[in-house]
Amino acid sequence: MKTTGIKWSVFAVAGLAVAGCATYPDEATTRQMAEKMVFEAFSASPAHMKRLEQDRSQQICSKIGDAKLTQAEAAEVVRLARESIKYPASGKLVGDWKVGDKLAHDGAGDRIRNGKTEKRKENGGLCQNCHALAPGEINVGNVGTSLTGYGKQRGNSEAIVKYTYEKIYNAWAVFPCSNMPRLGATGHLTPEQITHMVAYLLDPQSPINK
Amino acid sequence: MVKVRGISLTACATLCFTLATPALAQGDLSVGRKMLVEDNPGELWIDQGKEIFYQKRGPKNVSLEQCDFGLGPGKLEGAAARLPRYFADTDRVEDLETRLLTCMTRLQGFDRDALIKTAISAPASRGSDIEAMALYITSRSNGMKVNVALNHQKEYDMYKAGEYIFFRRSGQTDFGCVQCHGEPDKRIRLQDLVHMTSKAGAQEVASTWPAYRGAHYVVRTMQWRLNDCVWQMRFPDLKYATDYSIALTTYLNRQGNDAVIQVPGFKR
Repeated sequence: MKTTGIKWSVFAVAGLAVAGCATYPDEATTRQMAEKMVFEAFSASPAHMKRLEQDRSQQICSKIGDAKLTQAEAAEVVRLARESIKYPASGKLVGDWKVGDKLAHDGAGDRIRNGKTEKRKENGGLCQNCHALAPGEINVGNVGTSLTGYGKQRGNSEAIVKYTYEKIYNAWAVFPCSNMPRLGATGHLTPEQITHMVAYLLDPQSPINK
Repeated sequence: MVKVRGISLTACATLCFTLATPALAQGDLSVGRKMLVEDNPGELWIDQGKEIFYQKRGPKNVSLEQCDFGLGPGKLEGAAARLPRYFADTDRVEDLETRLLTCMTRLQGFDRDALIKTAISAPASRGSDIEAMALYITSRSNGMKVNVALNHQKEYDMYKAGEYIFFRRSGQTDFGCVQCHGEPDKRIRLQDLVHMTSKAGAQEVASTWPAYRGAHYVVRTMQWRLNDCVWQMRFPDLKYATDYSIALTTYLNRQGNDAVIQVPGFKR
């Protein structure tokens, strides 16, 4: 019995040696290999390659599978997000809802094809891609929460205006690592554009509150 | 042949417009899609791919019959179901399209860069040679189960790198793949998103490409799919047949193991 046991372990060891002990690489090795793949995979100018570099928050927010943020990580993401928020030069956080309406339904801007960036005056706000907007609109996504009646439910107090502006500017200041792009902080939208979207969400005349 | 395709395309165009009509409930959309799947214009590319595969072509004037897709030279039955996999002759993990590039370069003497330039065809064109052959070869696994095995160390590495990339966020949209493909029943505007972190979603990915893309009137491949995703994510131009896309395909196909392959798929 004992001899058989030894024999089997010899076989097992030999088997592993033949297979070369192939197995999943550890976390650090995986990161190193995958990062190399990312930076070899695109043909782009140095300016465009920057889009693949991760800032500290993006690194934290790239948890694999069901891995959860630690409290310290969440706090760091929120802190970095709060520090990133800039306000429009005018100081006015509520712009023109009609401009905001257009922006909310514009999903284009800054995409790259054959090395060239889309030629446009400004980027779209992308809202429609993920959020329900005015009542009855069918062509809207549902990755994000419904924004139908956003202002009607919340009013347009100064606190709500500020919260809404900051949420659009950098969503991670409120929900660290949420799926929503940090539209102002990453430079996709300007502070002025965000004021128009604030108006679109909060103005009682805006279709979203009808 | 061309005439037949013309008729099918017209039929498809009519149906596609029907699909685009607003105020359709989810159920109605899926009925429309089912109708298209039953009469998939992509079928026409299978014969085209077969013809190109067995034709003597390239500077060396040979067919691809000696190309080894992992089960031995010329053995196509079930080969695509096991891709991506490690190939000793290139010392690299290759997906179907990368393997085609390898064979067209090494056996037929084609120029790799020139092949890559035309690999993804223009919408409403007759399609590229690689698109047609990728469909033909995958169709030889129709009815078989996806079976991506991890044996070689480089296969393990590819799988893990693909998983890492799937969750990696960057750029001005802060997007990784999981931001759109990590939850069930989600849409970008009216477009359904595949829930790829579920078994069923990964299986859909692993078993339905290459697919006929209604909006483009051509057969599209997985390399194209990833290319178009990163464009929407605001990333720069993804090069064809890089480890980045092979890693993602390895990860997704492996997650999709046991799905029954049925190509061409049909996509909106």
